[in-house]
Amino acid sequence: MKLGVFELTDCGGCALNILFLYEKLFDILEFYEITEFHMASSSRSREKLDVAIVTGTVSTQRDLEVLKDARNRSEYLIALGTCATHGSVQGSVDDTKAAFRRIYGDIRGPTKVFDPRPVVDHVPVDFAIPGCPYNKEELFQVLMELARGVEPVAKDYPVCLECKLNEYECVLLKKGIPCLGPVTAGGCNAQCPALGLGCIGCRGPSMDANIPGMVEVLKNILPEEEISKKLRTFARW
Amino acid sequence: MIIELDEFTRVEGVGKAEIVVENGTIKEARVKILEGPRFFEVLTLGRNYWDVPDLEARICAICYLSHSIASVRAIENALKIDVPESVNKLRELGLWGEIIESHSLHLYLLALPDVLGYPDAISMVQRHGEIIKEGLAIKALGNTIREVIGGREIHGINVKPGGFGRYPSEAELENIAKHARSLVRFARRVVGIFASQEPRGAKAETAMTTSEYLWGDELIIEGERIQYEDLEEVPVSYSFAKHTYYKGSPIFVGALARVLLKGIAESGEAERLLREHREKIESRYVIYNNLAQAIELVYALEKVSKICEELLCEGIEKVIVEPEEKEGEGVGYVEAPRGVLVHHYRIEDGKIVWSNTITPTAFNQGIMELSLLEDARRMYGSLPEDSLKAKLEEVIRAFDPCISCSVHFVKM
Repeated sequence: MKLGVFELTDCGGCALNILFLYEKLFDILEFYEITEFHMASSSRSREKLDVAIVTGTVSTQRDLEVLKDARNRSEYLIALGTCATHGSVQGSVDDTKAAFRRIYGDIRGPTKVFDPRPVVDHVPVDFAIPGCPYNKEELFQVLMELARGVEPVAKDYPVCLECKLNEYECVLLKKGIPCLGPVTAGGCNAQCPALGLGCIGCRGPSMDANIPGMVEVLKNILPEEEISKKLRTFARW
Repeated sequence: MIIELDEFTRVEGVGKAEIVVENGTIKEARVKILEGPRFFEVLTLGRNYWDVPDLEARICAICYLSHSIASVRAIENALKIDVPESVNKLRELGLWGEIIESHSLHLYLLALPDVLGYPDAISMVQRHGEIIKEGLAIKALGNTIREVIGGREIHGINVKPGGFGRYPSEAELENIAKHARSLVRFARRVVGIFASQEPRGAKAETAMTTSEYLWGDELIIEGERIQYEDLEEVPVSYSFAKHTYYKGSPIFVGALARVLLKGIAESGEAERLLREHREKIESRYVIYNNLAQAIELVYALEKVSKICEELLCEGIEKVIVEPEEKEGEGVGYVEAPRGVLVHHYRIEDGKIVWSNTITPTAFNQGIMELSLLEDARRMYGSLPEDSLKAKLEEVIRAFDPCISCSVHFVKM
């Protein structure tokens, strides 16, 4: 099977994380030929792809063209990482034009700039793996399932569930630390509560997330404007 | 006529370049950063200082810990938070881990294919599998250190103003020290490979570093001690990254600048390797940033085991120090793997009201262009256009550019 990795505007981490699979990367190479991956290879290809992985937000005209090309050339498209699935931190800019002027003055820049939006807002995607960063194991599983012709299933439970399974002390209720675990999609194995810190919501909302309930609990710990900033850091709920 | 270099490959982020030819001579070279703007300075505004290092980490995946630590140091300077010596040592350990992770990624997976004549590391596996595996083993140690200190391989949230969320165990430190020591002999091999490169690119005449090896309260440039405000920033119409100059000269930051200006002290193998290759390093050609990184990789492995041993011997004070003040202004200078990184905040009532970030790739924009210009002049006409483009891209790669970082270089 032919695999392509495409980077739009982001921190580079989602593409990099694929290389962090180490020996599992060699397992993937048993099933896939990576024909396009600009961060890792100078080879350029115009081939049809079985699977395209797209990371980052659509923030420029160039990003949109790369995304459309990836969609048109591929059978199966995976939006990888919270930038691609929910917009992540850079997607939370309210007024791109004003922000741009503030930073660059009157200069127009080398290409047209858009409001940073997730890949899923622009093209249909076949599967989305959120996370900033995403869980490498999850990507590995999804690629292996696809190689075997199995449609992968998205995780629909909150981070809280993984925290309970690990028997971590509840940082929100026991320690009074702001934590978005109750409303954030699981799949990260509750990495932040494992450090004794609150979940920052980097995987975006879980299914059936009770946002008003979350806000009520957080009101005892945080001023209201901070609650909304916290909730809107990685996803537009 | 314009010779267009396609979007750079084997670098982080989206950028390309063009060489302007007029009447058969090279007139100009432009590096065009096309990565979309990412607005981090705007995003930090109005946020509680506690949440900001986690947000700033997202600027870059390859050097997230450098961003977290620069952010935390700026906040601690602003709010007068004085952390214990062991907290600083753990942060140093994290930064050395990041240098190990980042340099090994660049040297083994991105730059080595240039030296050995391959399009990528994956196609090198058949004939040079061993060295790729050595590189991956070193890189994995770098990531382990980032995980232990930062909380995750990428974008961890464990580095906090005043200390850490979770402190490492003795077993973790012992494990890191043991692995670091055993990897030195692998890293040594890659030094020889990069010493074989021919001199290319411009000379790093105006090199800049932080005042201590990994951080500092001042910057050192050409024998002078300055603050970053003493540099001159110029926006350019063809790129999302601005250019920086010191007294009219383009600046160079990175491993070559560090090794040149600070040398390598109190280490065994790295010090010996630096002596062996001193002439090449002192020639200042930017292609030898690769060589400097390779020597620094050995240095990092030696430092890591030393710091772990010190921490195991002296013990760790497991605290999160509360701020004395709720407002103030502070700068954090850190040596990211690619060079000087600046975070600067003004904080009022615990919230960020003004914010500025300058990254190493932004500092290096000017000398990147100068390198393309000089090399294009040297090689134009004597090579087919495709080979010329490939050679020019190799020089860009030697800067180890991190383009995602460079696009929010701003003074607000």
